[in-house]
Order: sequence, then C-alpha cells, then structure tokens
Amino acid sequence: MIEFKQVSKDYISNIGKEIKPALREVSFTVKDGEFITLCGRSGAGKTTILKMITCEEKPTSGSVIFYGQNTSDIKQKDAYNIRQQLGFIYQDFKLLPYKTVFENVAYALEATGQDTKGSKDEVMKVLDLVGLIRKTNRFPKELSGGEQQRVSIARALIHRPRIILADEPTGNLDPYHSRDIMKVLMKINEAGSTIILSTHNKEIVNNIKKRVITVDDGRIIRDEENGMFFI
Amino acid sequence: MKIKINLLKSDKMLNFAKKIIKGGWKNFKRQGFLSFATALIIFVVVLLGTSLFIFEGGVKFFSEKIRDKIDVSVYFKESVDRETILDFKSQVEKMSEVKSVEYISPEDAYAIFSKSHENDDFSRSLQAIQVNPFLASLKIKTNFPEQYATVTEFFKKEEVAPYVRNVNDHKRGLIIEKFSKIATNVENVGLIATIILSIIAIIITYNTVRLSIHSQRMEIEVMHLVGAKNNLVRGPFLIQGMLSGFFASLVAFIVSLVVIFSLKDKILSITDGFDISSIYMTNLLLVILLQFGLGIGLGLVSSYIATKKYLKD
Repeated sequence: MIEFKQVSKDYISNIGKEIKPALREVSFTVKDGEFITLCGRSGAGKTTILKMITCEEKPTSGSVIFYGQNTSDIKQKDAYNIRQQLGFIYQDFKLLPYKTVFENVAYALEATGQDTKGSKDEVMKVLDLVGLIRKTNRFPKELSGGEQQRVSIARALIHRPRIILADEPTGNLDPYHSRDIMKVLMKINEAGSTIILSTHNKEIVNNIKKRVITVDDGRIIRDEENGMFFI
Repeated sequence: MKIKINLLKSDKMLNFAKKIIKGGWKNFKRQGFLSFATALIIFVVVLLGTSLFIFEGGVKFFSEKIRDKIDVSVYFKESVDRETILDFKSQVEKMSEVKSVEYISPEDAYAIFSKSHENDDFSRSLQAIQVNPFLASLKIKTNFPEQYATVTEFFKKEEVAPYVRNVNDHKRGLIIEKFSKIATNVENVGLIATIILSIIAIIITYNTVRLSIHSQRMEIEVMHLVGAKNNLVRGPFLIQGMLSGFFASLVAFIVSLVVIFSLKDKILSITDGFDISSIYMTNLLLVILLQFGLGIGLGLVSSYIATKKYLKD
C-alpha cells in the first residue's frame, strides 16, 4: 500500500530563486491490485507524484509511505530497495541503447539480484508475452516506438514488481500502438499487479473505467472510482 | 553450515564479478567510438610518459657526460721526476673527494696533441722544432664538480707548491661551476617538465573519460531506476576504463618499441653515445609496468571519479 499524506513539493527556480510549488497538500492511498489513472494537464504534478514514489524526489512537507516505510527517511544509495519493488514504463522508453532487447529486460533481473540459471527462459517468456520473441538480439534503435515501449513493459514486468508506474506510456505512440499498450497494462493488472498510470489522453482515461485521480496545479481536484476524463 | 554459507557468498561474488567484466567488455566493444576516443587520449599520455622516462635517462646521460668532462689538471715543473709526481698521485687518490687520478707524462701529452692535431700547422711546427714542450700532469676527477677547490688547495700547500708549475686557475673554476650548474638545471627542468606534463596528461584523460561518462548519464539514471545498486552501475564503467587503458598501453608499447629501434642508430651517432634502446631494454620490466600501470590506472581512476558524480553513496 502507498499513502500520500498532505504531500507538498516546492521547486526553486534557478533564475531569481523563485519558489514554484509542484504539489500542494496531496493525500491519497493506493491499495494493492488497483489500477489508478493520474490525469491532468502537462505540468499539473502527475510526474512529481510518480517521482515521489520512486524516491527521485522527496516531499518538502508531508510524507509518502511505501508499504510502511517513509520514503523521506531513505538515502539515495538505499533507494534501490524501493525501486526493486517497482516496474517503470516511460513515455521516452528509457531503454539502455547499448544493450539488446534481451539484455535490457535481463538487466532488471540482474539489478534486483534475481538472475539465476533459469533467467534466460523467464526473459524469453516475457518477451513472448509482449510479442518480441523474434527481436531479442536487436538494439533499441532498430525497433519502432511501439516495439521499444513493449520492451520497456517487458522490463517492468520481468522481476514481478508489486507496482508498475507508467508515465505517459502512450505519449510517443500512434492510436493503434496506444491501444495495444493499454491492453497489455490491463492484462497485467488483471494478473494482480498494481498499476499507476499517468496520462492526459482523454480517450484512454475514458476507456479504462477504473479509478481516476485528477490533478490540477499541484492539487487533487477529483478522485473517483470508474472516473472519467475531467479538466 | 558456515562453510556452505561462505561458499554461497564466494559463488555470488564470482558471479557478480563475471557479470561486471562481461558488461564492461560489451560496453567497450559496442561503444566503439567512445572507447576509441578514450583509448586514444590514454595512448598519447602513455607515450608521453614513456618519452619522459627516456628523456630522464637522456638528461642523466648528458649531465653525467658534462660532469665527466670536468677535471682539474695539475702541471708539474720540468725538473720534477716521475716518482715524485706518482707520490703526489697516490696522496691525492686517498682524498675522499677524488674519483680518479690519471698521470699524463710529457710523452703522453705530446702523443695526445699530435693525434688531435693530425696534419695541421700546430702539429707540423711542433715536429719542425723537434722539442716536446709539454709538461707532466695529473688529471684529477672529483665526485662532484664543486669539490675541485679542495683538490687545488692541496697543490697550493707549502710543501707541494714548489713542484707545481700550474693548477687550474680561478677562471677554469668558474667554467666548472657553470657546467655543473647547467647539468643541475637540465635535470631540474626535466623533473619540472615531467611533473607539469604528467598533471596535464591526467587532467586531459580525466576530462575525456568524464565527457564519455557524462554522455551516458541518462543510462546511469535508468540503471538506478530499475533498482541497480551503485556497484552494479559503476563496475562495468570501471572495466570499460581499464580496457581502454590496457589497449592504449599495448599499442603505446608496440609503437614506442618500433620508434626507439628505428631511431636508435641516428640518435647514437648524433649524441655521441646515447643509446636510447639500452635505456628501454635494460629497464624493460619497469617500462612495461610504467606503461600498463599508467594506462590501466588512468582509465580506472578517471572512470571511478567520473561515475562518482552520478552515484551518490
């Protein structure tokens, strides 16, 4: 379970040392197995919420509790403990360019210390699941955007994380590939994983018919089960 | 039970090391241009280091040669017999400052002059007068050029001075001091040049590796985001740096060997005896250690410092 308790985050701009609030007293809870869509305009604070969970950012005030652990107490060098329990899918894929499709996925297993003799089969299974079994030796630059996003999904799944964070995963994809990716995410959720999806795509939000948290100007303005796109 | 745990631990360590080495080697191969650029800079640095090593050898050779040319010559009066001079010779030899003493008889002096002035006017006029104008002398070399004064003092003593016609005068002493200063200065300049060039080389290598790793900062971020510990992120970069250093050193070793042996004869003839290859070959193990230690060490240390910025411990 993840809890946001009155979380505020201020950034200080380099020019003029001006304080820019990114989140203002945000509170919500994510239960195991939920599919949550964070929806809002660009710059509303969706990515900052995800960065709080991954320990990339720490709250200026309030607290983020990750399965009983206050993330503010975790040092940067120990953040891997939290991250190993998460899977990430990003708009810009964030694949390692000098590693093949197979190696990109296997790296998540290595990083979490789960690589064993049977790892190869596991990686192949996941790549089969995302439809990339024939492209295991390709490098990311040799793949289309949709394929790269599927590698990113395979990497997010391989170590069976508790929670998958997807930050605008369809942002760089055409409608056909976007639907494809969303189907995969829904399947993963049905299999028991918690999904936190951040998007500003109206069609996607309205089709999911799951919990929707709407963020505007750093504040949560709506939190509804079976929610719809509202801005 | 304890043994089993230890075995498991060492097995885990071995697997981790294998993973790191394999990762580093793959990165080295796949990031061909970056690896080449880093290796090229390290190659230049290693070659520079090798040149400085040889330069140091050269400076030593030439300063030794300059010092070897410096001596004190004591000329005895015509009336002084050979035995008396040899007696002085043995007395001088006992002085701790003295490195060597050579007795040159008037006949030897004549022969040396004739040889160095073969077929010239001086030699011909000397032959014409049928007289040997040279005096018997002692050619004395001291351990350090500054010690010549002690030797001349000996020949100015009351009991010795009557036998002596001429000792190197003050003017000669100034020349000796000047030569000595030149030799010391050359050595100092060599040492300072070595230190300055080494610092520049290290800064250039560090910056090249830093730029190379900076260009991969997004990848480091991604590795962190998928939950990799600092060691797993850093390890392959260190191996990659070491590999760049190793191959740079290997090429530098071959290139320096080829250059030294192809220039050996030319340098020998120009410098009157400076054998560049003998410096290289007699210190071969040291040279190999210097080249590979410098190359691999630079690659390793630069990579470590450059990754430290992105890996907060």
